[in-house]
Parts: sequence; structure tokens; C-alpha cells
Amino acid sequence: MRVLVVEDERKTASFIRKALQAEGFAVDVCHNGQDALIAASATPFDGIVLDIMLPGRDGLSVLRQWRERSNATPVLLLSARGEVNERVEGLNTGADDYLPKPFALAELVARVRALTRRGGEAKSPVLRVANLTLDTLTRRAQRGDADIELTAREYRLLEFLMRSAGRLCGRMMILEKVWDYDFDPGTNLVDVYIRRLREKIDADFEPKLLHTARGVGYVLKDQP
Amino acid sequence: MTIRTRMTLWYAGVLLVSILAITVLSLNEFHERHRTLRSQRGMKEIVEIVLWIGIPAVLLSVGGGWWLMRKALAPLAALTRAAECINERNLTEPLPRTGNGDELDRLTEVLNRVTARLHDSFTRIREFTLHASHELKTPLTILCGETETALRDESLPPAQREHCASQLEELRRLTRIVDGLTLLAKADAGLIRLALAPVRLDELVRDTFDDAQILALSSRIRVVLAACEETVVNGDSHRLRQLLLNLVDNAVKYNQPSGSITLALRRADGAAEFSIANTGPGIPRESLPRVFDRFFRGDSAHSSDVEGCGLGLSIAQWIASAHNGTIRIESAPSELTTVIVRLPLPQENRIA
Repeated sequence: MRVLVVEDERKTASFIRKALQAEGFAVDVCHNGQDALIAASATPFDGIVLDIMLPGRDGLSVLRQWRERSNATPVLLLSARGEVNERVEGLNTGADDYLPKPFALAELVARVRALTRRGGEAKSPVLRVANLTLDTLTRRAQRGDADIELTAREYRLLEFLMRSAGRLCGRMMILEKVWDYDFDPGTNLVDVYIRRLREKIDADFEPKLLHTARGVGYVLKDQP
Repeated sequence: MTIRTRMTLWYAGVLLVSILAITVLSLNEFHERHRTLRSQRGMKEIVEIVLWIGIPAVLLSVGGGWWLMRKALAPLAALTRAAECINERNLTEPLPRTGNGDELDRLTEVLNRVTARLHDSFTRIREFTLHASHELKTPLTILCGETETALRDESLPPAQREHCASQLEELRRLTRIVDGLTLLAKADAGLIRLALAPVRLDELVRDTFDDAQILALSSRIRVVLAACEETVVNGDSHRLRQLLLNLVDNAVKYNQPSGSITLALRRADGAAEFSIANTGPGIPRESLPRVFDRFFRGDSAHSSDVEGCGLGLSIAQWIASAHNGTIRIESAPSELTTVIVRLPLPQENRIA
């Protein structure tokens, strides 16, 4: 998987590159829009991380040109402006996702992963991690042979975590996918739900599956 | 006493004194001429003339004077009414001028210049907040990213890992404050458009009730949904969710262990009324008017370990007023604290 990062702020570009490389991506970096246009026409990328505020040519106009040239590479927009309407404008211009700055690195990595995987994943109705299973048709959750009672929200949370099994999930992404919140409510809602879910799926069982990466997010996985 | 009454009284006094003087003088003249006659009838006539013509004339003059004053001072009254409507939002609308260059017109011009300068100051403060929050985002992004990068290093010793994680949590808090400030600065500048659509408020309240139960669990606070009438409002569902969650979060944070929270959604007088009551320590009367102020934190918040960004209620207030609604808080020490949000119902829903 090859990803292009277009970000003029060099330190930001540098840690994004490191984080994506650590996840196994090959990463190219450009610091302005013009270079990005040249790089994308020369190399086929699996995904692009594009900052909106770039010197000279801004990110949205770069994106518009790609889409006009029928370049369909998935694009994740980054923005420090955080304009409420910017997200809508970005998605309308042809972006696939939008992340306001400052973001959690885990969010960015998770979103890039989702972006580059898009469409390629077969969706099995039964999700499985170790002996934890979730049947998305009957909405039945089981650990081994024991049935687990879940509220609607807990079900959505578990389904999201199981679909991202083995990968770190940031709080914002969980809020967005499970709660439909596109803002940070500033509560420990996610942490409390995770604690409840952990009591139900992990408390009486081994091995523990739901792990916390402090300050970063959560991951559901087989190995500790 | 208004200028109008005072001027009318002066005018009436002057008028009365002049009429008296004229009467006395003419009486004297009359006496000189008719000294020989000494007619009692003549005296009586004079008194009659004074009574029947003088008094109505005085009354008429006073009435006319009052009317004249009123007319002369009407522009001043209009100017006062217009100036009373000035607030931080309509500073750009100048007061209407007559353009005839009289004293009032000049006063209006001066007032307009004062409000224009006020508007400039307000704009500068807003722009400053907006720019400051933008400028803070780039270093914050870098700090968060680099701290997170450090945390990802598996070889990091546990003590340093703890240090980094704690730093990251504070950075996130700072991020929330900056986000909140940006939001409010944009709202002040009128840069935020709500995505309005019919919203089932009762469903949002039920969702919030679920979240509240979970949030309240660890402090054993009981959450009650006293009423949840089916209600549709024209609103931005994301913002309304944010409003409800902000209030629930506050009700949990500023409550006492084993306390309770009561939520209710009712329809009353063409409005949806959402109330949330909690058994917190209460808010002293003198703090009540300030609870919606940015970064205002009462004594109870300072003394306890409540963690917040200090902008929750300001944001809630903005969301309510952006929906043409109102938000108010009722509280007193060691009594229930109740926040009440009223949102207007769309016209067609009011009858049902």
C-alpha cells in the first residue's frame, strides 16, 4: 500500500509519515499542491492524505483537479480551520473522509486504513475474535457458549470494534461511528461504555480481548 | 420628571403670570377711566371676562404648549427608543437620521460614530479569538502527534510511558478548549450555519437518557426520565445532541454521590420544553447570572475535582439561541438545580 501525504507543516508531515510507515504503508510526502499534482500523476497511490491549507494552491483545488482528471484515489482531508461547512464542501468536492486538526494520530492511521481498504473487504455476517462471536443478522453475541446481553449502543460499539479487530480505534472515530457525533462532547462517554462492555465480554473470560492504549484509544484483539 | 413635563410647567407658569399681569394692569386702567362711575356692574363684567375667556385661554395655551413640546421632543424619544435597541449584534445598523442638521441630528451622528467604534472593537476581539484558536491548532497538532508517536514506541520505559500518556490527556483537554473557543468565536461572528431539518427531539432525549445512565453509573446517581412527549422541532440534530449531552454531563459532574438526575421533555405553549434537574450542591444566587459566561466556574466547581473546559454551558446557550430558543437555570444552595431549555415548535405542530 502506497500513500501520498500532502502537508506543508514539516513536523506534522514527518510524524504522519512515521506513523503510517509503522503500519506498513509506503509513504511519499509533498509540501505543496503543485508537487502533489505531479507526484499523483506519476505514481498510482492507494490513498492520499491532503491538508486543505497549503501554500500556493490549496488542497480543495488540488482535489478538484484530480477528480476532474478522473483520478479516483481515496482522499482524506485534513484541516486546521475546522469550518463546519468545510467538511460538507470537502466531501462534495470528492473527498472520502475529513479529519479536523488537531487530530489523534491513531484516528488518522485508522482512517487511512479504512480508506485504502474500502470496498475490498468481504462482509461476513458472523464476526469472530478468539471465541467471541457476533452474528450481525441475529444480533447475537457469544463468548464461547455463553450468551451476552447487549444494549443497542453496546451492540453497535462491539460491532465496530470487531470489524476493526486488531487495529487501534481512536475515541473520535468511535464517537463518529457508534454515536454519530461529529464533535468531541468532552465527556468520558466512550471510556465508560468500554468499561461496561469489558465487564460483559471480558470479566469472566480468558484471554482478555479488549485492550486500552492509554491516551490513544482501544483495540480488540486476541493477543495481549 | 421628563423634559416635556418640566417645559410644559414652566411654559404654563410664564403664561399664567403674564395673563395675571395683563389682568391687573387692565384692571388698573379700567379703574382710572371709570373712577367717576364706580359701577358695580363694570367690576362684575371684568371678573366674568377673566373667568370665561381668560381661564379657557390659559387651558388652551397649556394644552397647545404640551402638544408643541411633545412634537418638538418626539425625535428625541424616537432616538432613545432606537438607542435602547442597540446591542452587540446590531452595532452596524446606524440610528436613523433626519438629515436636517439640527441638534438632534448631530447627536444621532455622534451616537452612530460611537457604536461604529464599539463595533470595531467587538470585531477585533472576535477576530483575535478566532485567529488565536487557529494559530494554536498547528502547534497543538504537532505536540499531540509527537507525543503519540513517542507512546507508540514499544521500548519506552513504563514511567516515561505514564508521563507521555498523562501529557497527551492534558493536550486533549487543551484541544477541547481551543475547539470550544473556535466554535464560540465563529458563532459570534455569525459564521456557523445550522443544518436545519425536522428532528425528533424525543428520540434525542431518549438517547441522551441512555448515555446519562451509563455516565452516572460510577457515582451511583439515579437517572429518571419523568416525561418524554413525542416532539418534532426544526433543528440541527448534531448540535441538539451536543446541547443535551453537555447538560447531562454537567448534571453528572456537579452532582453528589447517590444523587439523582431527572430529565423531562414536554410540550407547552408552542414550545418544546426540556428540563434537567440534579441534586448537586446548588448555585449561590449571586453566581446564577454568570453561569453561562465563558470560563465561569462557581466555587463548587473550583473546590471539587470536576474536570471541564468551562465552555459547556456557553456552548449550550449558543445552541439554544441559534435555534431561536432559550435556556435558563434555576437553583439555590442545597436545592435542586434545574436547567430548562425551550425550543419553538414549528407552526403546524402547535395545534396537535
